[in-house]
Amino acid sequence: MSTANSTAKTSHNPRLAVILSILLAGLGQLYNRRYVKGILFIILEVSFILTLGRFLNTGIWGLRTLGTLEGVDNSVFLLIYGLISVILIAFFIILYVANVKDAKRDAVRLRNGEKTPTFKEAARNVWDVGFPYFFVTPGLVMLAFIVILPLMFTIALAFTDYTQYNQPPRSLLSWIGFDNFARLFFETGGAGNNIWQDTFISVFTWTIVWTVVATTLQIALGLFLALLVNDPRIKFKRTIRTILILPWAVPAFVTILVFAAMFNDRFGAINTDILAMFDLAIPWLQDPFWTRIALIMIQTWLGFPFVFALFTGILQSISKDWYEAADVDGASRFQKFRNITLPHVLYATAPLLIMQYAGNFNNFNIIYLFNEGGPAVRGQNAGGTDILISWVYDLTFELNQYSMAAAITLILGLIVTGFAFYQFRKTRSFKEEGNI
Amino acid sequence: MKKYISIFAMVLLLIGVLAACAPEREETSGSGDGDSNASGDGEEATSEQPESLKVWVNDSEEQKAALDELFARYTEETGIAIETTPMNMLDQVEALNLDGPAGNGPDLFFQPHDRIGNIVLQGLAAPIDLGEAEGDYSETAIEAITYDGETYGAPLVVETYATFYNKDLVPEAPATMDDLMAIAEEQTDQASETYGFLMEAANFYFSYPFFGANGAYVFNNEGGSYDVTDIGLNNEGAVAGGELIQSWYENGYIPVEINPDIMNGLFSDGKVGVAITGPWNIPAYSEALGDSLGTAILPTVDGNNATSFVGVKSWMVSEYSENKDAATDLAIWLTNEENSTFYFENAGELPANQAALEGEAVTSNELIAPFAEQIQFGTPMPSAPEMQQVWEPINNALLFIAQGDDVQEVLDEAVQQIQDNIAAAQQ
Repeated sequence: MSTANSTAKTSHNPRLAVILSILLAGLGQLYNRRYVKGILFIILEVSFILTLGRFLNTGIWGLRTLGTLEGVDNSVFLLIYGLISVILIAFFIILYVANVKDAKRDAVRLRNGEKTPTFKEAARNVWDVGFPYFFVTPGLVMLAFIVILPLMFTIALAFTDYTQYNQPPRSLLSWIGFDNFARLFFETGGAGNNIWQDTFISVFTWTIVWTVVATTLQIALGLFLALLVNDPRIKFKRTIRTILILPWAVPAFVTILVFAAMFNDRFGAINTDILAMFDLAIPWLQDPFWTRIALIMIQTWLGFPFVFALFTGILQSISKDWYEAADVDGASRFQKFRNITLPHVLYATAPLLIMQYAGNFNNFNIIYLFNEGGPAVRGQNAGGTDILISWVYDLTFELNQYSMAAAITLILGLIVTGFAFYQFRKTRSFKEEGNI
Repeated sequence: MKKYISIFAMVLLLIGVLAACAPEREETSGSGDGDSNASGDGEEATSEQPESLKVWVNDSEEQKAALDELFARYTEETGIAIETTPMNMLDQVEALNLDGPAGNGPDLFFQPHDRIGNIVLQGLAAPIDLGEAEGDYSETAIEAITYDGETYGAPLVVETYATFYNKDLVPEAPATMDDLMAIAEEQTDQASETYGFLMEAANFYFSYPFFGANGAYVFNNEGGSYDVTDIGLNNEGAVAGGELIQSWYENGYIPVEINPDIMNGLFSDGKVGVAITGPWNIPAYSEALGDSLGTAILPTVDGNNATSFVGVKSWMVSEYSENKDAATDLAIWLTNEENSTFYFENAGELPANQAALEGEAVTSNELIAPFAEQIQFGTPMPSAPEMQQVWEPINNALLFIAQGDDVQEVLDEAVQQIQDNIAAAQQ
């Protein structure tokens, strides 16, 4: 702005440029006398509409109606085409907005008489500034189709009536709004009781207990062992560390299946060999309470090595100066742990520990492989140890209420994301440097 | 300004959504309704022989090898080439749901009959007319593939379970339930882990015969269609069956914790006199026990033959096939006496073709023959889609029965739960 210039064109109107570029991408650029850029925008837009217009039209129509001719239209295909169209249109809108903004910026420059770069200069400028974006873009586009599309599909399903008795290609789906969610929480059901509502609450409470207890135990055990092994008086540190990491090295599903066999009430090693010495026989697989205990112990076994490895690394990096200073001040062993070790360890690992909680909340493997959510509980639709995710899995296969399963999955997803999001915001480790 | 742009974009999108209109489609292509028969007959007029047929076969090595041989013969006879795609039987429905409408589906696919209800609901299979061949199959097989009065598929394989016994421990197979109980009483010693009689009694698939023999049923079947509102799992016969099963646990014959792995292990170790399980265990058992292994039909219950569940696997014609008649011909040809015998000899699965089932190949095999005999007393597993809502409640009920709860109460609860589940599934 410093250069007072004679080339300023006060008659050039940025607003007109904006309106023109809204009418047709590129027109604003032409008005700004940026011909190459303008023509490129026009070509881009026209070819987009010509090549994809038909597809987008069908896609959007399909998304709106989910098909109109029974047996001919396939609602699931139409839904997916529709969602792809939405993603493509989103890309298009981003380009369009960029075009409008560009037209406005150039018009303002032109009016102020700033020297506008030639096309060549602009291109070089874009290359220099946009180089990282150039490499990230293909990945982002792939991400949109591989991750976001299935996610949108699940979300969309939750608002349809996709069940075993109403499934494509024979029948058409239709949008039913929030009916599935309403059924889950409010409906009292035709047969007098609502299997969704009754079971949802009991399963939900166990899911929370399971998440908190199992995860906390695995973190506590990991921390305890890390502290022990890190003590200078311990010898053969490497060997001990290797052994403690081993449960992690064995694939989890193998461990779970082996444990399931070991916990068998009559034939398993735990009852026949270990507890038999004390004349005990615990119904590990028959009594919900003991099955829960067994599951928590197995998860602790499976989960502690990761936490242990994590903490061991952090402990070694804490400077000795801290402890020396504490010794000078006469701090006790516990005070040193409470005020030096713990803050260091937790500060660096909080996000990963939160992920442990989120992971256990949806830890389908262990619940399903150990006892398939069992043992059965009388008068209840879910087994004694079913957590939400395994219950949803069961329901999908038993009742084939696909849209209801999607609705519950959506709720699960929201809970986990909400929890993780809140925690991440609170922990400082994920904030960018300097923004603390 | 930003606000204006976004509002404009929203309006543009909204107009687009409302303005989008239906693409042009042919209304007649591949309708999933029952009236497809009529259109099928129309196409028949051309009755041209297709150059090739696509068949999805189960991905088991032995089965595929046997079928490849048969397909080669078929091509030689008729000049129709067969393209096979190996795919696990249980994955075929899902794949057909996507590939069929897209035009990449097969003409013939291979399915167990208890999924017919679900397949028909999706409109994936075309009802076929077996014609004269219908009389060639065992009655149970035809009953199994009949759904809502229509026949879906040509049955190739029948399967049920029967009694296995260890001749070293039990010289003669138990003919009646009383014999079996005597064996269990005499030989069971849980402390040394020897058992007179073991089965997965908490699995409804295996314990159904003891309910059925006393007059229980899952869904009432009249004239080829199931009345799913009439559930016979808590009637007098069911309670009698439940109490019989409960007595096995109470007398300590069968431990509650039994599962297939443990049972197979104990039987192979020669620690079990009698076990009830399926023919898929024959190879492992006979390897472990050699000539000591014997098989027999299930023992009678109060003079009635035990009604084991029968599974039937059949070739089904895809609704999306353009060569339905040729595909039907191939399906019937594959399941004729000669070819199902060949298939039995090479893949080891019992033929659904009655003549083949009674033929030399089957009856001369001592271990297999009792299974063929048991088939005639069996009941096909219900193919109604509502069956899926039966398994879990009834299996749980069996578990409660095993733990000693009151049988009538438990079964009433189970039936109530099945009805609730069916209601929930149909909403």
